[in-house]
Amino acid sequence: MEKEENNGEYIELAELDPDFKSEVMKHEDAKGLNACFACGTCTAGCPIHEIFPEYDPRKLAKMVKLGMREEVLTSPYIWYCTTCHNCEQHCPQNVKFFNILNVLKNMAAKKGYAPNAWVEQTKQIIKTGLVFTTDEALFKKRRSFSLPDLKLDGSKVKKIIKLTGIDKIKAQIKG
Amino acid sequence: MNRYALFLGCTTPTQVIQYELSSRWICKQLGIELVDIKDFVCCGINQTNLNLEAGLLLATMNLALAEKRGLDILTLCAACTGHLAEAVEKLKDQDTRERINSKLETIDLKYEGKTKVKHISRVLYEDIGIDRIKEKIKIDLSNLRIAPHYGCHYLKPESAFNGFDDPDNPKTLHKLISATGAFPVQYETLNLCCGGKSFPVSNKIAMSLVRKKLDNLISKKIDFLVVQCQTCYLMYSNQQNVINRKLGRNYNIPVLLYPQLLGIAMGGDLIHDLGIHLNGISMDYFLKKLEINKKRS
Repeated sequence: MEKEENNGEYIELAELDPDFKSEVMKHEDAKGLNACFACGTCTAGCPIHEIFPEYDPRKLAKMVKLGMREEVLTSPYIWYCTTCHNCEQHCPQNVKFFNILNVLKNMAAKKGYAPNAWVEQTKQIIKTGLVFTTDEALFKKRRSFSLPDLKLDGSKVKKIIKLTGIDKIKAQIKG
Repeated sequence: MNRYALFLGCTTPTQVIQYELSSRWICKQLGIELVDIKDFVCCGINQTNLNLEAGLLLATMNLALAEKRGLDILTLCAACTGHLAEAVEKLKDQDTRERINSKLETIDLKYEGKTKVKHISRVLYEDIGIDRIKEKIKIDLSNLRIAPHYGCHYLKPESAFNGFDDPDNPKTLHKLISATGAFPVQYETLNLCCGGKSFPVSNKIAMSLVRKKLDNLISKKIDFLVVQCQTCYLMYSNQQNVINRKLGRNYNIPVLLYPQLLGIAMGGDLIHDLGIHLNGISMDYFLKKLEINKKRS
C-alpha cells in the first residue's frame, strides 16, 4: 500500500521517541509530569496562550508524554513563556509545568536552539556580573544622586558558571 | 533595628535608579539599615532558561555572600525575589545544597541555609507594619486613585513564600497603598503579568500583555499605576511610550514605584530623594495632582 501524505494532520507513531518523557522526568524539577491528565487548567490561565494560542502548555505536556522530541525541542514557542507561574499555581494535579518547561528549554539549548537574547545575557554576566552593559554616563548619573559605584566584576561568576557548561551553549542561528 | 543586605539586581541600578534612590530614602526614614555588598551578581533567573544548575548556582552565590555577613537579603526586583526565595527552598534539600556548595567552593563560598530573602514591600509590611508606616505620613494623598500591580514573582512560586499573601487574591500592596492615604483601585487585570520575561524573546507578545492592562485601566479613572518591580515599571512606563509612538495610541497612565509613592506621602523631596523626574511624568502634572490633594485636604 502506498504511504499517505501527512500534512501534520496526524502523528507518525514510528517517529515518536518513547525515551523522551523519561529523559525529561529524570530531572528533579519535572518528575510530576505523569500526573498530568490534560485537563487544560494550565492553558486556561496562561496569559501568553490567550494572546498567542499556538503557545499551549497542555499541548506541550501531551507532546512530551507522547515522545515528540523534535517537535518540542525545535519549537520556537517554548521560549515565549513569561514565567508568571500561573500554570503550576492552578494545576489540580500539582504538576509543575513551569519547571518542566525549564527542563525542556535546557534540553533545547543544549541542542543549539537557544534564543540569542539569553545567550548574550550569559556572556554579559561573565564579563560584569550583571546582564547589562554600563557606561560612564550611568556612573556619573549614579554619583549625582550619591548612589554607590557598582563593582562590575564577573571574574567569580566566570569561575563557577563554567562548571555547569552554560558557557558552551550557542545561540540558534536563524535562517 | 532592621538590617538587611540590599540586593539591587541588574536592572534597577542601571536603568531605574529612581527605584534604588527612593527605596534607600524610605528605608532610612523607617529605620531599616541597608548594607551594600559589592560582590553581589545577577540573581540567575534568566540563566534557568539555558541551564537550571547555573541559575541555582548564581542564586546561591548571592545567598552565601549575604550569609557570610550574617544578613538576610532585601530585594527590590520581583523576579530576583521569586528566584532567590525559590533557591532557598530548593537548598533545604541536603543533596542539592552539597552539590551546589561543591561548586561554590572554588570561590571560597558556602551557603548553609541561614540567609532568607524578603522583597522591600514585605519588609515594610511585616517588619515595620502598616500602623508604623501611617505614623510617618506627612502629606495627605487621600484624593489619589491608585491601581496596584504586584509583579508575578513577588508571590510566586507560592511554595517559596510561606503563605505571606495569596497570589490569586493579593492584599499586601493594596494595604501598603492605603497606608499612604491613597485609594487602591480594584480592577479586572490586577494579576496580569507585565510580560517582562517574554520581552527579550518576543517583544510583540510582551507588548500585547502591556496593552491589555493599560486598556483595562483607561476606564478606571486612576491617577497612577503603582508597581513594586523595576521590570514591571519599564514595561508599563517606557513601553507605554513606545506603544504610543509606534502604534499611534494615546495611553496616558503615569507609573510610580511603591517607595516613590510612600516617599511622597512621607514628605520626601520629589527630585533629590525620590527621583520622580526620572519617571517621564511631567512635573507639572505631578505637582498639580498633589496640589489638588492639598486643596481638598
